Amino acid sequence: MRLLVIEDEKKVADFVARGLRAERFAVDVAYDGDSGWEMASMCDYDLVILDLMLPGLGGAEILRRLRRAKKEAPILILSARDGTAQKVEHFEAGADDYLTKPFAFAELLVRVKALLRRGPVNRASVLRVADLELDRLAQQVKRAGKKIELTAKEYALLEYLASHAGRVLSRTMIIEHVWDQSFEGLTNIVDVYVRHLRGKVDDPHPRKLIRTVRGVGYCVSDEAEP
Amino acid sequence: MNTRSLRFRLILWYAGLLTGVFLLCGAIMCQALRHYLKESLAQSLLRRTHQIATSLLAGVEKNGEPFVVEQIKERYAPENYDRFVRLSRRDGTIIYASGRAASFNPAGLPPTTAQDSPRLARLPDGNRLLMVAEEYQTPSGRDYVIESGGPMQPIDTVLSHLIFLLLLGIPVVVLAAVGGGSILVGRALAPVVQIARSAEQITLHNLDGPLPLTPTGDELEQLSLALNRMISRLREAFDQNRRFLADASHELRTPLTALRGELESAVEQAQLVPGLRDQVGSALEEVDRLAKIVQTLFAISRLDAGEAQQEWRRFDLARLAAGTADQMSLLAEDKGISVNCNTEEEVNVEGDRARIKQVVVNLLDNAIKYTPPGGSIHLNVRARDRKAVLEVADTGIGIPALALPHVFERFFRVDKARSREIGGAGLGLAIVKSICAAHGGQIEVESAESRGSRFTVELPLAPTERAQTTV
Repeated sequence: MRLLVIEDEKKVADFVARGLRAERFAVDVAYDGDSGWEMASMCDYDLVILDLMLPGLGGAEILRRLRRAKKEAPILILSARDGTAQKVEHFEAGADDYLTKPFAFAELLVRVKALLRRGPVNRASVLRVADLELDRLAQQVKRAGKKIELTAKEYALLEYLASHAGRVLSRTMIIEHVWDQSFEGLTNIVDVYVRHLRGKVDDPHPRKLIRTVRGVGYCVSDEAEP
Repeated sequence: MNTRSLRFRLILWYAGLLTGVFLLCGAIMCQALRHYLKESLAQSLLRRTHQIATSLLAGVEKNGEPFVVEQIKERYAPENYDRFVRLSRRDGTIIYASGRAASFNPAGLPPTTAQDSPRLARLPDGNRLLMVAEEYQTPSGRDYVIESGGPMQPIDTVLSHLIFLLLLGIPVVVLAAVGGGSILVGRALAPVVQIARSAEQITLHNLDGPLPLTPTGDELEQLSLALNRMISRLREAFDQNRRFLADASHELRTPLTALRGELESAVEQAQLVPGLRDQVGSALEEVDRLAKIVQTLFAISRLDAGEAQQEWRRFDLARLAAGTADQMSLLAEDKGISVNCNTEEEVNVEGDRARIKQVVVNLLDNAIKYTPPGGSIHLNVRARDRKAVLEVADTGIGIPALALPHVFERFFRVDKARSREIGGAGLGLAIVKSICAAHGGQIEVESAESRGSRFTVELPLAPTERAQTTV
């Protein structure tokens, strides 16, 4: 899989590229609009990550040109503006997804994988993490064979974490997925729910599955705490 | 009536001045007329005495005094002409005195000398006579005094008529002038009233419309021009403020992205010592907080700029509030706080549902944060006076009266140490206020320290005719 990152902020471009390479993608980077357009039009990339504010050719113009040139690679827009109007405008111009700065890398990764249809989410009807078992059809949770009663929100939270097992999910991602963006201003709703979830899922067992990564978010993983 | 209004005061001054001028003019006129009438009466009386002296007394030595008396009676008949004539010698012997005239009885009239003539003499019957006297010396040296008098009553009558007319006329004229003046002043001041009314409607969120201009070229046009210039300067300042907010939050996003990315990849490094991992995590938490502040500031600047809301639709505020309270119930339970939700059947409003939900979330979150365990929160939604009213009342620590007017200001915190511990940046209520304003609503707060606070949000109800179509 070959990806192109067009981003003029060198540091942002570099950490995105580094992170994606760590996920075993081949990543090319363009630091301005003109070389970005050149590279995107010459090669067939599987996905283009495009910043909007670029020196030289602007991101919006590259987006239009790529679509006019019948380049069908999915395009993920990075923008420092979050306005519904702008989003709609760029979706209409042919963007496939839209991410507002500052973003957590995990979120970028989830979206990139979704766009590449690699299935970021484990679609299996039963999710397993160590001895934890989620039956998505019956919405039932078992740990070590014993049934655990969860509220709807607790279940949604656990399912979201378990379907991205091993990956740290930021509070913002969790809020947007399990609640909605209206809760984004709140500091502790995720923490309170995670604490309750831990009380039911982890506390009766010596092996803890729900991990806190300070400053980043939460993760369900069967690896031991580093 | 407003007695301090420009209109009232102008007219009062106007009426006072007018009355004063009229009274002064009337007084001068009466005085002048009186003087003139008196003078002409005196003149005609003097002519009479002179005639008697030159045409009759000149021949007294030849014709004898009785002839003169006869002639006076015959020629002048003073009684018939309502005049008084008396002829006497120097020693005071009266030769002739006319009798009772039509309007007065001269009996008992004291003598008048040429020196104090003309003078006013009061008769015992109450009438006043204007008296003149002339001395005449015959060629042979006999001295006579001729007195003549006329009543003052006709003059007094004329004057009293005039005064009566003036007293009747001045109020009428003044009243008419006040009426006309009132209309004129009203018309002159109408643009001022209009300017005031339109200025009243100008708010921070509505600085667009200029004041109406009446192209009259007068001071009022200048006033509205000056006000309009002031408004545009204000608008510029507000726009600059807004643009700064938008630009600053925009410019901060890219470095924040880089910062977060670098720190995140640092935290992923497995070889990181646990202490350092914790420090990087702490730095990431701060980056997160910064990012939230930037995001909220940007949202506030967009709301205040009145940028078009995309997702504008009709929804039930009661259901939204109840649902939100339900979603947040665990937060309250966790602190041992009870949330009582009391909503009416259906309270429809129009707007951006996610934004309004943010209002409910922020208010409930605040209530939970600032209410000690064991307290309670009441959430009410109802329709009242064509407004949707949402109330969030708590039994929390309350807000000191001094801080109360500032709670909706950006970055304002009642107790800085305490809020930092709780994790707020002082923007939660600022964005709530901006959202309410962007929806044509408002928010108010009442609070008593250590007793609790009550936030009341009022939003316009959605028009009812569409309610029927959706049912």
